[in-house]
Amino acid sequence: MVSRRGFLKSGGLALLGVGLLGGIPGFLAEAAASEKILSPYKKKKTLVCIFQRGAMDGLMAVTPFTDDYLKAARPNLFMSAAKSGTNNPLIDLDGRFGLHPAMKAFEPMFREKRLGIVHGIGSPNNTRSHFDAQDYMESGTPFNKGTSSGWLNRAVGLLGHDALTPFTAVSMTSAMPRSFYGDNPSVAISNLQDFAIQMRGNPAGANIAAKSFEDLYDQTASGLLKQTGKESFEAMKMLQKTDIKNYTPANGAVYPSSALGNSLKQIAQLIKMDVGLEVAFAESNGWDTHFNQGTENGIFARNVADLSNSIMALWTDLGTYQDDVTIMTMTEFGRTVHQNGTGGTDHGRASCNFILGNDVSGGLVYGDVKPLAVENLEDGRDLTVTTDFRSVFSSVADKHLAINNDHILFPDWKGDRVNVMKG
Amino acid sequence: MKKAVKYWCGFVMLLCLFTVFTAFLPGYPNASLKFPYKQAGLTPEQAAAHLLSRFTYGATPGEVEEVSKIGPEKWFAQQLDAQLPDDSLNQLLNKYDALKLSNTEVVAQYPKGAQVLRMAIRDGVVNKDSVKTDRKAYRDQLQNYMQQNGLKPEQELLRQFINQKILRAAYSNNQLQEVMTSFWFNHFNVSIVKNDCSQYIPAYERDVIRANALGKFNDLLLASAKSPAMLYYLDNFSSSGNKDNMEQSNRPIRRRLMQQMQGTDTGRFANMPKINKTKKAQGLNENYAREVMELHTLGVDGGYTQQDVTQAAKVLTGWSVYPMGTYGQAGQKLMNRIGDEKLQSRGFVHEGDFLFNPNKHDSGEKTVLGHHFAAGGGYEEGVQLLNMLAHQQATARFISKKIAVRFVSDNPPQSLIDKMARTFMNKDGDIKQVLITMVNAPEFWSAAAVREKTKSPFELAIGSVRSLHADITQPYQLFNWINKMGEKMYYYQAPTGFPDKGQYWINTGALLNRMNFGLALASGRIPGVKVDLAALNNHHEPESAQAALITYSKIIMPGRKLDETIKRLTPMLNDPKLMEKVGEASAKTPATTAVPVAASDEMMDQQAGLKGKRKNNFIAMQSASGNNSMLAQVVGVIIGSPEYQRR
Repeated sequence: MVSRRGFLKSGGLALLGVGLLGGIPGFLAEAAASEKILSPYKKKKTLVCIFQRGAMDGLMAVTPFTDDYLKAARPNLFMSAAKSGTNNPLIDLDGRFGLHPAMKAFEPMFREKRLGIVHGIGSPNNTRSHFDAQDYMESGTPFNKGTSSGWLNRAVGLLGHDALTPFTAVSMTSAMPRSFYGDNPSVAISNLQDFAIQMRGNPAGANIAAKSFEDLYDQTASGLLKQTGKESFEAMKMLQKTDIKNYTPANGAVYPSSALGNSLKQIAQLIKMDVGLEVAFAESNGWDTHFNQGTENGIFARNVADLSNSIMALWTDLGTYQDDVTIMTMTEFGRTVHQNGTGGTDHGRASCNFILGNDVSGGLVYGDVKPLAVENLEDGRDLTVTTDFRSVFSSVADKHLAINNDHILFPDWKGDRVNVMKG
Repeated sequence: MKKAVKYWCGFVMLLCLFTVFTAFLPGYPNASLKFPYKQAGLTPEQAAAHLLSRFTYGATPGEVEEVSKIGPEKWFAQQLDAQLPDDSLNQLLNKYDALKLSNTEVVAQYPKGAQVLRMAIRDGVVNKDSVKTDRKAYRDQLQNYMQQNGLKPEQELLRQFINQKILRAAYSNNQLQEVMTSFWFNHFNVSIVKNDCSQYIPAYERDVIRANALGKFNDLLLASAKSPAMLYYLDNFSSSGNKDNMEQSNRPIRRRLMQQMQGTDTGRFANMPKINKTKKAQGLNENYAREVMELHTLGVDGGYTQQDVTQAAKVLTGWSVYPMGTYGQAGQKLMNRIGDEKLQSRGFVHEGDFLFNPNKHDSGEKTVLGHHFAAGGGYEEGVQLLNMLAHQQATARFISKKIAVRFVSDNPPQSLIDKMARTFMNKDGDIKQVLITMVNAPEFWSAAAVREKTKSPFELAIGSVRSLHADITQPYQLFNWINKMGEKMYYYQAPTGFPDKGQYWINTGALLNRMNFGLALASGRIPGVKVDLAALNNHHEPESAQAALITYSKIIMPGRKLDETIKRLTPMLNDPKLMEKVGEASAKTPATTAVPVAASDEMMDQQAGLKGKRKNNFIAMQSASGNNSMLAQVVGVIIGSPEYQRR
């Protein structure tokens, strides 16, 4: 088992080498000496999770377009897969399900079997409160509020080695998400540029302060502060090697200038810097479409365009790193089968999610979506949850990150996995 | 000499003040307070510093001397009484008009966005289709509508609420009460993240937590159980018994009430016109019953079973919120029509915002932790249940440990917890008595406890403000920094509250932000938070940079051994380029409180390489009044230093 100190030691050795060069700041020399500071541990598998907060209308994202019940329930929202006039039809995936046209970026991935979709996914707890449902999905215990840790934090604990770097688990959010609560090291940061000692308008002062801090933390008697201080300065130097601000995505990838696009761009940077990122988390907002959610245009279309274009930009940008990365989306619940009186949909039960990666057994819509007749609906109104989210999350965690202790990852859960991954 | 005179004046003033205070003192005679710090090898100053580090948000300059002069016991007795005048704080708080509102008034004046929209559509002011076509026009319409109707956005309520917490923590003389308020809020956590309960949180902190922070645990528990914030946060408002066990006599009222009261239900868009709410799930909800045992009283290993949870949930069915706001209008009318007296005769209980609704109560028999509740019970059995939970041995141990973790160390000795738990049991859960037992114990003063706690981001931010006597005009700016350092106050999602241990707070991203916070605060770059570093030292100019370092380290971290910190920081001062660099940068981009640097003097000195130039430099920079950049840098580094992260 490589300990956390392994990382420090490698950093320390590099710095020692630098001493011979004399005078040059450690991190610059390191960068010159070896492009990747962590070469002993490089090529980590990374799982990128995206939480779509507000509950995505899975029936509009991936529509069972042959279902006449749905057509009747959504006179203004139903979209067809047949081309008519100037309308952009749904993208017919398999003769039954159609992808929203604003997600056309996803189509090639589905055809190449890299993108899998699970429909009818959700939580066994039938709460329709955003807060409760997100809480349950992120803690991974749908019937227990008191679970102190989040499932992704537990995943970090199950990676089979100690956190090698401060970047093992990174959430691109300003506050720690519920999924990351827990004892295993994780970082929440909305902007990587903040990972520095800063004095606005006074870089020289900041440099001197940084040196002073580094020395103080190095000498402190408190083990926790000393250790974390060291790691912080190492982390800072790792990031300083790259010009984060002026990053140019590879392979012509273009990230949408949205919060999600920006988050995923920074995740790509971390992955490509080989800083040991294994679990990444980002958020996408605005899915609570009670009003005028629109069809091929409108709020929902903008949201799914942003989601799919951001994910595809990340995927393109990753280039040779694609084999090491799986991207998975999740949302707390789905929306009512019927449209409501204000051109939107209300809180429902099941939705769908997307899993992209070369380890994914894609090109399929997994799950069990029955005809949307009232008798098949949950409480007579919502798409029934037929796949427990844990049966998908556990499968992805196992096949991509080799985490196979479901008992710890999802305590209380005794269901079967839905194998959406290869092998 | 000058300094000595100032101190002397200070003492005289203090003495006067104290003669006044002693008149109000009694309550906790010093006899019951006897702190064994001498036995632990601490000087009175060190004892005062330790005491202040535990029961305040940080010592203000000179406070350590004050407390050691008064005597730590006497100071603590005053804090337990929590009756010190807070006139200047109250003056600051008077600016915030939302702080005194009842929940009913809050709901009427600060409606949620969806509520406003619904009202605006109802009144024909907003065309619901305009959302699609013109978002700006729609927003303007809504804004006008709100202004005309005297409505304010919920965000404003929460801003005032967060601001008041920061101001109280920074400036209240009754620090212990404020610290205990934070402690109990975190223990009985509710979260702004949960939209259903957010608007009730200001009153929750004020009426439930702060009001009982130094009272009896049982009262605190009961008040939290009956508050709208908790009832919504842990869903107990929605919990109802199954039909077989529900009271039969009130059927018509029940049916109508059930319909009306669905209105107070979940989700931003509850009760939007035409939204299908008919399939509202009804039945038992165990969330509160589970957490009240696991997190509020017994602790996860407190010896209860799933059966106990389910049975307790049944005992607590019918505990609900009195209808309020526009959503509650119909319910209110109905209640008024029936009249309190008649309601009471039918087993309803209406106390403030709380309503016990017997029609939702499971009236069958139940057994919790071996205690039998006979069939046909009502509100009183819930009170009995909570009372019973509050007085369990497991609860005494669980609460005592949590208090010890908060005030002594992340791993407090079992011997201390046992003493506190005994007091908890013997004194009917009297929180003051438990605190007294803790502070009277040698474990509190042991070397293993002193400076063993890591400041949370809130404690660091408020402590720095107090250390520097900062003047806060925009408290929310501090909230943003506290958030950045990893503690988004009042937004912690899980009912566990923030973990109270160093490992949770200290991680790489957060630690760098602590350092950046120190630099930003000291250099006056946090808008609305003004520091006057020169005034801290009574405008007495330190004779050298080295002297400044020593002087300010002592002001900011009184009662500590600082040789190592000072030794480590000295090279920074001796960096020949520092003055130049700092001076240049500062001249180019003045900070909000910045001072033009006497650049010509500095350059002359450097060219001449005169002996004692640092002294001259320093004074030159200093004399420009206010904060010089060198001093700001020194103080910023002190605040970001590892020593200052501990308490």
